[in-house]
Amino acid sequence: MIHVYGIVDELDSLPPLEGLDDAPLERRRVDDLELVVSEVPREEVTQEAVLRHAEVVEALMSRSRAVLPAQFSRPFSGDEELVSAVTAKAPELGQRLHRVRGCVELGLRVVAPKAETVPEAKSGAEYLRARLGEEHRRSQLVAQLDEPLARLSQETAGGAAGSDVFERAYLVRAEDVPTFINAVRELEAANPELSLACTGPWPPYSFGAETTK
Amino acid sequence: MSSDLRPDLRQQVTLLDLVDRVLNKGVVLSGDITLSVADVDLVYVGLRVLLASVATLEEQGMPVAIGDALR
Repeated sequence: MIHVYGIVDELDSLPPLEGLDDAPLERRRVDDLELVVSEVPREEVTQEAVLRHAEVVEALMSRSRAVLPAQFSRPFSGDEELVSAVTAKAPELGQRLHRVRGCVELGLRVVAPKAETVPEAKSGAEYLRARLGEEHRRSQLVAQLDEPLARLSQETAGGAAGSDVFERAYLVRAEDVPTFINAVRELEAANPELSLACTGPWPPYSFGAETTK
Repeated sequence: MSSDLRPDLRQQVTLLDLVDRVLNKGVVLSGDITLSVADVDLVYVGLRVLLASVATLEEQGMPVAIGDALR
């Protein structure tokens, strides 16, 4: 079976790493695209396998012009299945690869403090008003955090605001990363009640498909 | 604030982000059932990959934002 790490653009050479189960990495050309793969004896997901996958993708990132990381999923049964799956999506994949060139992904996770305790509601309507007010406050906050960062990004992904967590990925040109970090620091300083965690730079995991912006 | 997070908590946040990306993001090539974070045993937390990624990017002269998440 075949495990795919990612699709690469102008890969210099394979990194001196082994793939899952210590199998050698291989380059595979399908249509106009080049993939980095390795043979796997079985489908098994372990933490070690996940970390190895990530390590290979990371190494590919530094040796090629662009990488589209593949999602860690069930391996392909063989070449035939791999070729037909990739061929079916080749034009879209080529476009995405072009889109992420020169960019890294930065992640932002924001944890909002617990809502102030809503005063005892005297009626259902009052309770609803309080809830709506809270929702409104939250969406304003999200917009206020997201806007300056989205401006510095090529694309954004995710960001479905959970109850008190906001998570979003930003596709940022490598040269814009310091500016982005400064913007996060400013947001942090302006919103001392929030917990902001900025992670990355990551390979563009979240930008394999068409996204917002 | 990230600077207030305890180091072990920061590592967990970053590892969770990593596993989430590998399993739930990335370009989907096969139509098969995908896996989720819950399928992976996260008892042991290895930071090798993350440290490696920092080193790689520094070699390339790229700024490393992960510092906040790791240090």
